[in-house]
Amino acid sequence: MTLAVLAVAPLCLPALGGALGGQVTTLFIYCILALGLNVMVGYTGLVHLGIASFFGIGAYLLAILTVPMYPFQIGFLPATAVAVLATAGIGLALGAPTLRLRGDYLAIVTLGFGEVAKVTLRNLEQITGGMKGLNPVPPPGAGVTIGGLDLGKEFAIDPRWFYYLALASLAGVVLLMRRLEGSRLGRALVAVREDELAAQAMGISATKVKLSAFAMSSAVAGLAGCLYAASLSTTADPNAYDFNRSIMVLCAVILGGLGSIPGTLLGVAILVGFDTVLAPWADSWIQQWNINPTGSSLLSFSGWRLAIFGLALVLVMRYRPAGLIPSRRMAAELHDAPEGH
Amino acid sequence: MFVVTACRPADPDLVKIVSSLPRTGSAKHQSDTLVRGIRMAIEEAEGRVGPFRVEYLDLDDSTAAAGQWTSEAEAANARRALQDPDVCAYIGTFNSGAAKVSMPILNLGDLLMVSPANTAVGLTKPGMGTPGEPEVYRPTGRRNYARVVPADDLQGPMAADWAVRRGVKKVYILDDNEVYGKGIADLFDERCRELGVEVLGHDSIDAKAQEFKSLMASVKATKPDLVYFGGTTQSKGGQLAKDMTAAGVGAILMVPDGCMEQVFIDSAGAANLEGRCFVTFGGLPPAKLTGKGGEFVQRYREKHGELPEAYAVYGYEAARVALHAIATAGSKDRRAITDAALGIRDFDGALGHWGFDENGDTTMRTLTVNIVRNGKFEFEEVLHEADLVAEPAASAGATPAP
Amino acid sequence: MSAQFFLQQCLIGLTNGALIALVALGYTMVYGIIGLINFAHGDLIMLGACLALSIVGALGLAAVDPAVTWVAIAGLVLVCGLACGSLNVAVDRIVYKPLRNAPKLAPLVSAIGVSFIFMNIGLFWLGSADRSFPELLPSDNVLPDDWGLQFTQKDRLVVLIVVPLMVALSILVRWTKLGKAMRAVSQDPTAAALVGVDVDRVIAATFFIGGFLGGAASVVYSLYINTIGFQMGFQNGLYAFTAAVLGGIGSIPGAVLGGVVIGLVRALASAYVGERWTGAIVFAILIVILVFRPEGLLGRRVREKV
Repeated sequence: MTLAVLAVAPLCLPALGGALGGQVTTLFIYCILALGLNVMVGYTGLVHLGIASFFGIGAYLLAILTVPMYPFQIGFLPATAVAVLATAGIGLALGAPTLRLRGDYLAIVTLGFGEVAKVTLRNLEQITGGMKGLNPVPPPGAGVTIGGLDLGKEFAIDPRWFYYLALASLAGVVLLMRRLEGSRLGRALVAVREDELAAQAMGISATKVKLSAFAMSSAVAGLAGCLYAASLSTTADPNAYDFNRSIMVLCAVILGGLGSIPGTLLGVAILVGFDTVLAPWADSWIQQWNINPTGSSLLSFSGWRLAIFGLALVLVMRYRPAGLIPSRRMAAELHDAPEGH
Repeated sequence: MFVVTACRPADPDLVKIVSSLPRTGSAKHQSDTLVRGIRMAIEEAEGRVGPFRVEYLDLDDSTAAAGQWTSEAEAANARRALQDPDVCAYIGTFNSGAAKVSMPILNLGDLLMVSPANTAVGLTKPGMGTPGEPEVYRPTGRRNYARVVPADDLQGPMAADWAVRRGVKKVYILDDNEVYGKGIADLFDERCRELGVEVLGHDSIDAKAQEFKSLMASVKATKPDLVYFGGTTQSKGGQLAKDMTAAGVGAILMVPDGCMEQVFIDSAGAANLEGRCFVTFGGLPPAKLTGKGGEFVQRYREKHGELPEAYAVYGYEAARVALHAIATAGSKDRRAITDAALGIRDFDGALGHWGFDENGDTTMRTLTVNIVRNGKFEFEEVLHEADLVAEPAASAGATPAP
Repeated sequence: MSAQFFLQQCLIGLTNGALIALVALGYTMVYGIIGLINFAHGDLIMLGACLALSIVGALGLAAVDPAVTWVAIAGLVLVCGLACGSLNVAVDRIVYKPLRNAPKLAPLVSAIGVSFIFMNIGLFWLGSADRSFPELLPSDNVLPDDWGLQFTQKDRLVVLIVVPLMVALSILVRWTKLGKAMRAVSQDPTAAALVGVDVDRVIAATFFIGGFLGGAASVVYSLYINTIGFQMGFQNGLYAFTAAVLGGIGSIPGAVLGGVVIGLVRALASAYVGERWTGAIVFAILIVILVFRPEGLLGRRVREKV
C-alpha cells in the first residue's frame, strides 16, 4: 500500500519530484542503511557504533570504480555489486577477530573502526581525494541509451529517476529482510540474541551466525553508500561518515523499534525527516513571517533543534521504551522479567 | 506544506534571493555577519529591484546533528532553490567543499550562484585544481558561478613572499586537512620551497581535536622562524595559537583570511597573538575601506553598533552583484540574469572597482597583511602582485596569476 | 629525535592522560553500577565548563592576586563539582530511573537525547563559537631550565587536582560503607537489595560522585586547555569512554590506566607518526588490545551466565 503511494506520488505532484524528491531520496537511502544496522542491533543484539564507516566504504568503493580519475569506470550496476561484496568482506574481516568480545566491548570496537576508517579516508589523499572526496560520480546509466533515451542524462536532470531507484532498492531490501526474518538464519540470529548459550546448545554455531549478521549488515550499508554517492554525484568528505551519523542511525533503529522493519523505517523518517525536512521548513517559515526580525537564535527554530531532537529521544524512550513500533517478539519480551546485568 | 509552496506558480512581481550558509554550529558567527551584509544590501535597495519586489531567504546548509555543513543539506538547498521559479540568485556557499555539491545542481538550471567566501582554486580556474575541475561542476557546459572573493592562488604564495621579505628562513606548516585550509597551505608550502625557504615539516591537524600540545612540542623541537596554519577559526586556529605559547614556541604565526574575524582573537586569547600573529586577507580590512565600502562600514556600525567583521562586506557585495544582475536582465530569465552577472567587467562596489574575469573570478587582487595588536586586527601593509620576490628561474610555471 | 624529546612527549601524554582518566571515571562508575554508557557525560562536563566560565567572569577571578588564585581554583572545583553532581543525579532521577527495567538500549538512546539537550543549553550559554577561558595560571615552566623540558603551572595543576581526587575515590570505594554498597550493587543489584542495601540511594550516590568528578574535570579542562565550546563534550567523551573500555569498563583502576595509555599513545603517535594519524592510531591500538584482552586491561573476566 505505502509502496504504491510512494511510487505514484511523484507522478501526481510534479513538485515532489524536485525539491522534496531529493530529500525523500536521501530518506530512502537512510532507511536502507538503518535496515542494514537493524540486522546487527535488532535481530542479533550486537551494538554497532560504526555503521557509517561501512556506508562510507560503500560510497568510496563505488566512486573508485566509476569516477574518471580511475581507470576502471565500470557501470553503476557492476560497481555497486563489487562494492557491496567488498563491504561485506570488510565487515567479515572486522567481525572475525572481534566476535568473542562481549556487547559493549564489541560496540567500542565498531566505534574505533569507524574512527580509523574516517581518518584513513581523510589521510590517504592519493586514493580517496582527502577532504575533497571523489567526484564526480557519474549518474547510474551513464552512457547507456535505451530507446533513444540517454539514461545518464535523465538521471542527472530529473531527480525522479533517483527517487525510483532508491525506492526500488529500499523495496528490495525490505523484501530481503522479510525473507530473512522467516528464514532459518533469521531465527538463528534471534536465538543468539536471546541466549547465546542456549542457541549453541541447540546446535546453532553462534560464530557463524554473528559473522553472517556482520556481513549482511555491512553489505546493506554498503549498498546504501553506493546509492548515496551516486545521488550526490560525490562521495562528499569523510566527515559525512563519522560517529555522529552512526549514532543517528542507531537512534533511528532503537527509536522505531529494534528488530522491527516498519519501526526502523518510521524511526528514520522521524529523525532524518526532522533534520532535513522539518527544521529547514520551520526556519524558512519563521523567516517568511518575519517573526524573528533581529535574528536572535532564541527565536529561530535552528537554535532549538538540538533540544527538540534530544527531548524527542528522551520522551519516546520514556513512554515507549521498546520503540514506536516494537517487533512482536520484543513487545512480548518486555512483559517478562528483565534480565539482570 | 511543502507541496503548497512548491506548486505555487511563479509570482510575476517577486524575485527571491536565497543564501545557503552554515547557520548552525561553529561557523554560525561568520555566516551571521555575511547574512547581515546581504540583508543590508537588500534593505538599501528598499527591497526592490527594477519592477520586482525582493524577498530574501536565509537557508542553512548545516544540520544540528553534524554541527557543520553537510552535503545533503547543501544539495537540498540547491534543489529547493532550483525548483522555486521565483528564485533568481543563490548566494553561497561559505565552504568550498559545499560549493562542489551545489554547483553542478544549480548549473542545470542556469541559476546564478555568487559566493562570498569560497576560495578553493579548483572551483573556477582550469588546470589548478584536480583534473577535470572546473568542468565537472558545469554539466551543461555553461557557466553560472562567480565569486567576489579572491581565490587562494594569490593568498598562499604571496604570504610566502611576504615571509621571505621579512627574513624568514625556516617554516613549519600546519593545515586543518580541509579543502580550504589544506589547499592554501599546500600553495604556501610549494612557494616556500621555490623561494628556498626551508620547510621543517608539514602536518595536518584534526579540527575536532581539543589540544595540540604534543604537536607543538614537535614544532618547537625544529626551531622554526614562522609557523603557518592553513585553516580557520572553526578548525582550531585559536587553540593552535594558545598551545604554541604554552609550549614555548617563539616563532611568529601566520594565518589566512579564514581566521580574519574577531572570534579568532577571542578564541586564541589576545595575549597569545599580540604582535606575533599575521593574517593575510583578500581585500582591504573594514576600517580601511573607502567609497561605497566606507559607507557600508559606517551604516553597519550605526545599525549593529560594532565594526563589521571582515567578511560582512563580501556578503554585501555578493548581494549587490545579484541585485545588479537582476536589474540588468530586467526579467526573471535565469540565464539572462546569470549572463548579466558574469558579464560584469567594471563594478563600482564596496570593495572598490572590480569585475569578473572569464572564469567568474574577481579581478580584485589586492591582498593585505594584518597584525594582531591590542586585541584587534591592525592593518599592516598592502601586498601587490608586483611585489613578488624576484622569480627563481625554475618556478616560472608556478607563478600565481594565470 | 633525542631522549629529551621523548621524555617531553611522555610528560604531555601523562598530563593529558590524567585528565582523560578523570573523565573516564564518570563513565566507568555509572557503567559499573547500572550498565549504562552515559553518553551525556561529556556534555555534562561542557556545562560544568560553562558554569566555571560564568563564575570566573562574574567574580573577576582572572585578575586576582596569584595567592588567591589557588583558593579560587579550589572553590571552582567544589562549586562545579557539586553542580554537575546534582545535575547528574537529577537526570538519573528524571530520565534513566524510569527505564531501569526497559530494554538495555533504551537508556542509551535517552542518554544521547540528554546529550543533545545539554548541547543546546551550552549553545545558548556560550554561543556557537569557541570561547577562550581566562588563563588563571601562567604558562611558565616549573622545571629547572637546564632539564630542557616544558612542564608549566597548568600541567602541574592537572596533576595536583587529579591525583588527590583519584586517591580519595579509591579510599571511598574501598573502605567506606557506601563504597561497599556500590560494589555490591554493581555485582548484583537484586542480591544487594536483599541484604538491605538501598539500591536507589547507591545509584544516586554513584551518579553524584561521577558527576562531581566530571565537574572537577571541567574546571581542570578549562584551565588546562583554555578553550571551551558547546561541542567540546563529544570529543572529550569519546576518548574518555574509550579509556574506560580499554581499562575494562566498570573497573576504577582500569579507567585510570586506560586514560594514561590513551594520553601516551596520542602524544607519541603525534610526535613519531604525525598529528594527522593520531586518531586512527589510538583506535587501532584499542582494537588490537581488545582482540587480545577482550575484557580490557584490568577488567574482570565475566563468566557467561548459564
